[in-house]
Amino acid sequence: MADVAQLPGVLAQLRLIAGLRWSLLKNGLQRKNNRWDLVGVIFAGVFGALLVVGLSFAFFAGASACLAGKRASWMALLFWAIFLWWQVFPIFVAGFGANFEFKTLLRFPLSRRTFYLLGLGYGFADFAAVSSVCWVAAMILGAAMARPEVLPVMAGVSVLFVLMNVTLERLIGSWLEKILAKRKTRELFIGLFVLSMVSLNFLNPVLQRYGNAARPRILEYLAYLDWLPGSLAGSAVAGSVHGDLRAILLGAAGLFVWLGVTSGFLWRRFAAQYRGEDLGESAAPAPTKKNNAIAVSAEKAKAQSSNGEFLPMLPATVAAVVLKEFRYLTRNGMAFFTLLLPPIMVVFFTMQFGKGSALREHSLNPEMFFPAIMAYLILILITPAYNAFAFEGKGIQTYFMAPLRFQDVLLGKNLFLAALIAFELSLSLALLVWRVGWPSTAMFAATIGAGTFAVTGQLTIANWSSLSFPKKMEIGKMKGQRNSGVAVWTAFGVQIVVAAVCAGIILVGRLLGNPWIPAMAFTGLTAAAAGGYVASLGALSRLAEKKKELLIETLCR
Amino acid sequence: MGEIAIATEKLTRTFGALTAVDSIDLKVQAGHFFGFLGPNGAGKSTTIKMLTGLLAPTSGRMELLGLDFQKHPVEVKRQIGVVPEGMGLFERLTGAEYLRFVGRMYGLDRATTEKRLEELLGFMQLADRKKTLIADYSHGMQKKLALAAAVIHGPRILFLDEPFEGVDALAAGALKALLGRMTERGVTIFLTSHVLEIVERLCSHVAIIHQGRLVAQGSLEELRAGVAGTEGETKTLEQIFLSIVGQSGAEQAGLEELTWLT
Repeated sequence: MADVAQLPGVLAQLRLIAGLRWSLLKNGLQRKNNRWDLVGVIFAGVFGALLVVGLSFAFFAGASACLAGKRASWMALLFWAIFLWWQVFPIFVAGFGANFEFKTLLRFPLSRRTFYLLGLGYGFADFAAVSSVCWVAAMILGAAMARPEVLPVMAGVSVLFVLMNVTLERLIGSWLEKILAKRKTRELFIGLFVLSMVSLNFLNPVLQRYGNAARPRILEYLAYLDWLPGSLAGSAVAGSVHGDLRAILLGAAGLFVWLGVTSGFLWRRFAAQYRGEDLGESAAPAPTKKNNAIAVSAEKAKAQSSNGEFLPMLPATVAAVVLKEFRYLTRNGMAFFTLLLPPIMVVFFTMQFGKGSALREHSLNPEMFFPAIMAYLILILITPAYNAFAFEGKGIQTYFMAPLRFQDVLLGKNLFLAALIAFELSLSLALLVWRVGWPSTAMFAATIGAGTFAVTGQLTIANWSSLSFPKKMEIGKMKGQRNSGVAVWTAFGVQIVVAAVCAGIILVGRLLGNPWIPAMAFTGLTAAAAGGYVASLGALSRLAEKKKELLIETLCR
Repeated sequence: MGEIAIATEKLTRTFGALTAVDSIDLKVQAGHFFGFLGPNGAGKSTTIKMLTGLLAPTSGRMELLGLDFQKHPVEVKRQIGVVPEGMGLFERLTGAEYLRFVGRMYGLDRATTEKRLEELLGFMQLADRKKTLIADYSHGMQKKLALAAAVIHGPRILFLDEPFEGVDALAAGALKALLGRMTERGVTIFLTSHVLEIVERLCSHVAIIHQGRLVAQGSLEELRAGVAGTEGETKTLEQIFLSIVGQSGAEQAGLEELTWLT
């Protein structure tokens, strides 16, 4: 028999968990790197407090104005704003990383009811919930100031609204946790998310083109929103202003049904977690098959592999790194979707400013449009090179264990990136020509020259940055996936300098009236940059040897 | 005396004020199955990292197969295989892709790489998982794959940092047999493990590191002879180990003080 006399109550357990979280935060900040994060946390805290207080005034004033004037039905808009904030913001800050911290509490002797209440308690502890509760309180205060007689209904509806929101937010969160716990679904989800964010760019052009035609249909669908919590809460409060008991009861009953349904679903989700639902993604035991692979002949093995050498013109180690980079790219949903960005941006920009766009008066000459958009695309595509080992993880050790010069690794990575950029730019160029037309031959040559110079020149510095300021990133996660601050500023500074040099040379060519001067200048600069790149490889290999402990420690963590 | 596979001379590594490895002189003969033991934090992994080029020594010399590591790192690496701490796998490759990558990095031609990877995947019972990403492997499967990668190029010295941790009994048995055959063919195996029974069964020679210093080195018989015991009693490696690192009774006495558990 264990020596436990009495289990702690829910409040005591909540206090314990709050203490645990505080200790985790405090201990985390003792790490040197995390102290810089503290500055960020303080900034975010101040900004968040300003946002909450400022918008509290806005909600107070909004509720007062709606109820004092004859616009009580507009209260629904305020409830809708809070509803959307409360439900959508946590999805963004969750960063699509599975969070098992709450589930780890299951190792302790908790009842299912306590587990459920703790889960809801967690729901009240995030920023969206705290800010939303403040804003609802501000609305209650505003309503009481404007029309004291609506206070009972307003308060009752607000309580239901808050409970429903926290329950729904936890329900969505727990489902997301389930979905994102698996690598494949997580990556697919992130891909779709990135794609949908990119697609938002097209909202404006699409609305410009089809907005008027779609308006009647949109208005027709808006009627269905009456059954959602924001509208229900608003109609109940508006009903109390107009003395419409039916509207009050319908609104409150609707919210109550929402609360009941979401609570039921959340109870089921938490019950599944409580029973020990397995969200992990460890491999199932390998089925035992007859082991007939040992006797595979060399011929058969060769036939199973792709024919011949991969990139036979390259040394085997460099080719192996290029192939590995290709495989990693195809398995990195986020990076893979980033490749869609350049052609999408070309289509977007040409829709906005190209031939036949609604902003025809702003249409740009392909002569400047071509170099500008190519510069933008290079900017997007080369930035990852400044932290080129981000996704290697523990595999970085292989590079240092293998019998090779580290320059082969750098060369393989750089060649792959250069090929990728060339492919992306070719695709974007084809789209540009289709949408806008060819620039002059001289400008085409100058742009290609500038691009080659920009890439070659930056790769040397990017390699140095990758070795000196590595930062681990994990495929399939968004939270905390950022380069080291120094690498970011290095990339930023270098890109500004390179862009300024390229723009200056093109300008000089225009001023001198000789359109071929930039192309010639860029050819010279590219040759110099390529020479510098080749000369730097040996030094960078030595730097890698010096920095290997930093790389291994950072990336294997 | 046969060929020396691994020799270190005053090998030292410090991390700030901490001396993790303190002036150790190791000698391992070619073909020996060598166990490198020590309590947690004694300096075992740091030593292996230095011997495999993952960590630079602060001072001292290392010779592997007669070659100075610092002067000939590529030549040395070509002849050694490593299962490092953490295994060093590229988790976004499949098992077959990873072995193919490693084979090419070690200079094997394509046909040889393909032949060996098929054999290795079969031997490690991973043949039906060759298209599965390493990230989706269990810990034991990753360990077996790391071991496969360490031997694909036919190394003359094999460094294994806790190679049997997380590996099931069946696979561990096959691996032990494989390692035994490798030593018969002259391969030197340098192994660290916390499971002293495994070390005792596999290794012919042992060194013990404690607080960064080498406190014992020799064959099991030599170590037994160096530890005082009752006449006629054959000391186990565990007894030798506890006797040498000086913790034979202290911690057990501590356990007796946990009164509510006794």
